[in-house]
Amino acid sequence: MKSLVLVFCGILMLSWGCSKDRNFDERELHLISPEKIAGFDPIQVSDQYSGNESGKVYEGLFEFHPLKRPYELMPNLAESLPVVSEDGLTYTFKIKKGVLFHDSPAFPGGKGRELKADDVLYSIKRLADPKLQAKGWWVLDDRIAGLNEWKDKNAPLEASNYSEEIEGLKKIDDSTFTIKLKKPFPQFLYALAMPYTFIVAKEAVDHFGKEFLNHPVGTGPFILPVFEQTNRIVYVKNPTFREKFYPSEGEEGDDRLGLLADAGKKIPLVDKIIVDIIVEAQPKWLSFQKAKADLFEIPKDFFDSAVVGGKELAPDLKSKGIRLFANAQLDTTFFAFNNDDVLFKNNKKLRQAISLAWNRQEANKLFYNSSAVEAQSVIPPGLGGYRKEFKNPYVKYDLEHAKRLLAEAGYPGGKGLPAITIQTRNETVARQMIEHFAKNLEKIGVTIKVGMNTWPELVNKVTKRQHQMYTMAWGADYPDAENFLGLLYCPNSSPGSNGSNYCNPDFDNLYRTATILQDSPERSAMYEKMNEVIAMENPWVFGFHRTKFYLSQAWLKNYKFMEFNHTQFQYLSVDLEVKKELSKKF
Amino acid sequence: MTKYIIRRLLYMIPVLLGVSLIIFVLFNVVSGDPTAVLLGKNATARQMADLREQLGLNKSLFLQYLDIVKSAFTFDFGYSWATKQEISQMIKQGAYPSLCLSIPAFVISTILSLLISVFVAYYRGKGIDLFVRVFCIAGMSISALAYILFFQWFFAYKLGWFEISGFEEGFPNFISYIALPAVIWIVLSIGPDVRFFRTVILDEIYQDYVRTARSKGLPEIKILLHHVLRNAMIPIITYVVIQIPSLILGALLLENFFSIPGLGGITLNALNSSDFPVMKAMAILSSVGYIIFGLISDILYTVADPRIKFK
Repeated sequence: MKSLVLVFCGILMLSWGCSKDRNFDERELHLISPEKIAGFDPIQVSDQYSGNESGKVYEGLFEFHPLKRPYELMPNLAESLPVVSEDGLTYTFKIKKGVLFHDSPAFPGGKGRELKADDVLYSIKRLADPKLQAKGWWVLDDRIAGLNEWKDKNAPLEASNYSEEIEGLKKIDDSTFTIKLKKPFPQFLYALAMPYTFIVAKEAVDHFGKEFLNHPVGTGPFILPVFEQTNRIVYVKNPTFREKFYPSEGEEGDDRLGLLADAGKKIPLVDKIIVDIIVEAQPKWLSFQKAKADLFEIPKDFFDSAVVGGKELAPDLKSKGIRLFANAQLDTTFFAFNNDDVLFKNNKKLRQAISLAWNRQEANKLFYNSSAVEAQSVIPPGLGGYRKEFKNPYVKYDLEHAKRLLAEAGYPGGKGLPAITIQTRNETVARQMIEHFAKNLEKIGVTIKVGMNTWPELVNKVTKRQHQMYTMAWGADYPDAENFLGLLYCPNSSPGSNGSNYCNPDFDNLYRTATILQDSPERSAMYEKMNEVIAMENPWVFGFHRTKFYLSQAWLKNYKFMEFNHTQFQYLSVDLEVKKELSKKF
Repeated sequence: MTKYIIRRLLYMIPVLLGVSLIIFVLFNVVSGDPTAVLLGKNATARQMADLREQLGLNKSLFLQYLDIVKSAFTFDFGYSWATKQEISQMIKQGAYPSLCLSIPAFVISTILSLLISVFVAYYRGKGIDLFVRVFCIAGMSISALAYILFFQWFFAYKLGWFEISGFEEGFPNFISYIALPAVIWIVLSIGPDVRFFRTVILDEIYQDYVRTARSKGLPEIKILLHHVLRNAMIPIITYVVIQIPSLILGALLLENFFSIPGLGGITLNALNSSDFPVMKAMAILSSVGYIIFGLISDILYTVADPRIKFK
């Protein structure tokens, strides 16, 4: 027994001896990813966290300006914005010269070669390759002349034929190419800033074969020789990265906040990025407090520990110089009716009654610490088509009105109305939210049941229209309201993204007209109209536009919230003096 | 004995066929179409149909079943649908951290529980016995999550004795990462283990041969260690050995809270993303594990009790 106790003590001592304290002398960035990373093949990167990792090693033709708001595109690998033909169909691009791929055994002599127009065209073809079933195909599906035909033609072949010319993809010289669209697609340049269209080298894809997703070879500011499915990813500065500089312009007030202090400096501004994958909330929170992370999204469970009174940073965090950022997200949460279901299909009053019976103010307090914005319709604030003054008359808590509408819908006091099941995924908060919703609806005589599902089960039920209602949140893929309005466009009905199966010919006509217009006051007006049509129809019970709360360590410089932050990390910096000074406090 | 082992190994064939059938039925009847999940929120109907074709989900049910049987016997599980990684590689990468945590924790908790059980059996009916029993039941009544949250906050964050989360390969680097989850594992295991071992030992302690040994004047501790413990070994071996396959599959909750990139996390991700090849691989590996360790426990019976003969 004595020896066992000694062994146990020995392990504790060894563990203590091996515990690592944070290195306060290095110009390193420590980040946390709350989800596992699926791999580094850009065409398969469909979630935000994998996108953030890909954005450290790969680059696209464009990126979002790290400081300017509303979001503005700026050239990344492209030399400038493209020249667009008068009919809005042909885009001529020039890419930067002297951009090198990372050194890799995939290239002769192991030295990365220069980026060429062929690489861009190859990367786009790869997205359409029927053998690869890219998750990002939807961004270019039916957009580029001849690309869908190439995809179909290659489907039955053993291997896709990349040497075949495609009408819409033409190389002019090593740094110039054109892309011809089938029909106007104003969001096209946004698509070219998404991780799906990041540029890869054919040699690397061929060399690593099925292991390509573990061997990222891009042109980006950081390199990662091998990706392993571990809990930590370590990137080092790319020594052959081109001359790229920190922007000298931003939004009004950025200068005052010190966000332009590094203007004109060569990026990246840190030597190393260490990303720890931590899924659970407590270890993330404790790691941040031990200075093992520089930036941290506050989980709901620790909100009250970090933020006092819903707005102010807790004094113990303030004393360490930690800063709080509250950022409105481009997202909308909702309870969707299955408008294909006989109960809801032609019964707008029933949908409106249900919407009126939900006390959103209470829900906001319970689930979002009163920080979310009540959604009046589908488009979130920050996008063209959102009108702050617009109030949806059915987005308020009015039980009397709800009861009247329920009676008019044919169910006075809820009589004759069967219990309605809301499907959701197996998450405590989702369940709690439906329970809150159910408790509210009980007051007008409507019975709500909760259907708990794994994520695959939920998706299955929605795509097969086996649901009455379901709850979800939609985050923007790019800063255009089309990305939200498409969720209610009839041709997108299940198994497409319109899981509520809402169909309204007037709305569909507006959608078809508006979404091919370039960004303009005319288009914004059309978006506004569509947003308001939807609000009155209530195909969903509109929920919230959420706010994310971040904490950053005092030494983290240049951080500004970005919804599309795949390329943001190269602009972040670390103030070593502040870091050393504050190290005693951790 | 060789004949017995061969026969038991041959039993694996019908067991694996049965396991394959259960996996097949569960996947095809219960879980439905995985393509919408695999392709993400913007999947189109056409793309889902193409992916179904590519994944072989349009093949006849019999051929799909044969595919599962084939991988069950060849251990060629192919590539993950969700991460596109080679499954054998994923298992290899995940097994190391899982085993780094589970083996020491399991060995220490089993030895410690046995020692405590012998100790309380020696003092059966006395205050210390009562105290240990109450302690075990109290320990078992607290949720594993409560232990994890408290230990992580107190020992790792407040006292700074351990790493809060993470994992590093290589000895001794991994010690600081696995020490705290291992301690929690031990604390969680001691309650049920001690209760079981104590009951088994007490069952033996009232047998005739114990009375004989006592009447011959053997000291009580010698009777306990040399006679009682040896005779109690059969249920103890069964209890201990049959836990080993689950060690390989990892400790889901501990791995998750301590960010240990083990097999538990891989299995959970596979379940959440309809990653059938990975689920299939884990189910097959665990059933093979149970068969093999069942056989090992049978063989160990003959060591513990030479009267047992294989027929």
